[in-house]
Amino acid sequence: LLHAARGPGQALVCPPHTPAPVLPCPPRYSSASAQESGVHPNPNPTKAADTEDIVKLSKTCVQRLAQIMEKGEFLRISVEGGGCSGFQYKFSVDTQKNEDDRVFEQEGVGVIVDEESLEFVKGSTVDFTQELIRSTFQVLKNPQADHGCSCGASFSIKV
Amino acid sequence: VSRRKILATRAALTLTPSAVNMIRTLLQDKPEYIGLKVGVRTRGCNGLTYTLDYTKEKEKSDEEVVQDGVRVFIEKKAQLTLLGTEMDFVETKLSSEFVFNNPNIKGTCGCGESFNI
Repeated sequence: LLHAARGPGQALVCPPHTPAPVLPCPPRYSSASAQESGVHPNPNPTKAADTEDIVKLSKTCVQRLAQIMEKGEFLRISVEGGGCSGFQYKFSVDTQKNEDDRVFEQEGVGVIVDEESLEFVKGSTVDFTQELIRSTFQVLKNPQADHGCSCGASFSIKV
Repeated sequence: VSRRKILATRAALTLTPSAVNMIRTLLQDKPEYIGLKVGVRTRGCNGLTYTLDYTKEKEKSDEEVVQDGVRVFIEKKAQLTLLGTEMDFVETKLSSEFVFNNPNIKGTCGCGESFNI
């Protein structure tokens, strides 16, 4: 029943209209250009429309988030320098949406990625993997990542 | 005059209460398995990583650790590596995992999964 309700193909891909409830996503350098021109800053409106500029949620990720998250809570993914391969993913629970955040919602659960981190994770899939030894959220199939650590927490980027 | 000498023997692996509880929960509805088996494998950026599996029988070379009614077996290869290790189960909102606090290791990976001794 659950499967039928979800529909084919919908499990992995964020529907195109999902970013709509987010604030219209001003580019983070907007303040500078606003000061100069005085008009509403929207220098590059097509950039956000890039279809690859999203983070997908896997089915298990959606299910797990639905289980653990209360209303208004989001999974925040950020990228930091560190780990054995140069960059690492950080997962946290957040209730605050900042101006430079993008929200990817799917079936009532949401993942927040700030614009700077999005550059490093766009196009990848967030998954919740369950094994005997550990169950945790992971970023999978990151097109930006060159090779990573076996644990998947750390990665280096393609240059 | 010979006196009986008492040797100190320590369990090769100790389990924290949360680990005991978790293992008990895991095995509760799986009567075909008698315990968990811990091993090490060559993998990861730092050389070794832990493995964990259900086990149906005790193999000859396995070291058996019984604590509070749960049984954990240590693979022969992993026995020296794991000696004195504390096995913990850590659960947070975003992840839950078995953590091995191993006094023998020299270095770990940032994520804590990979290590060398």
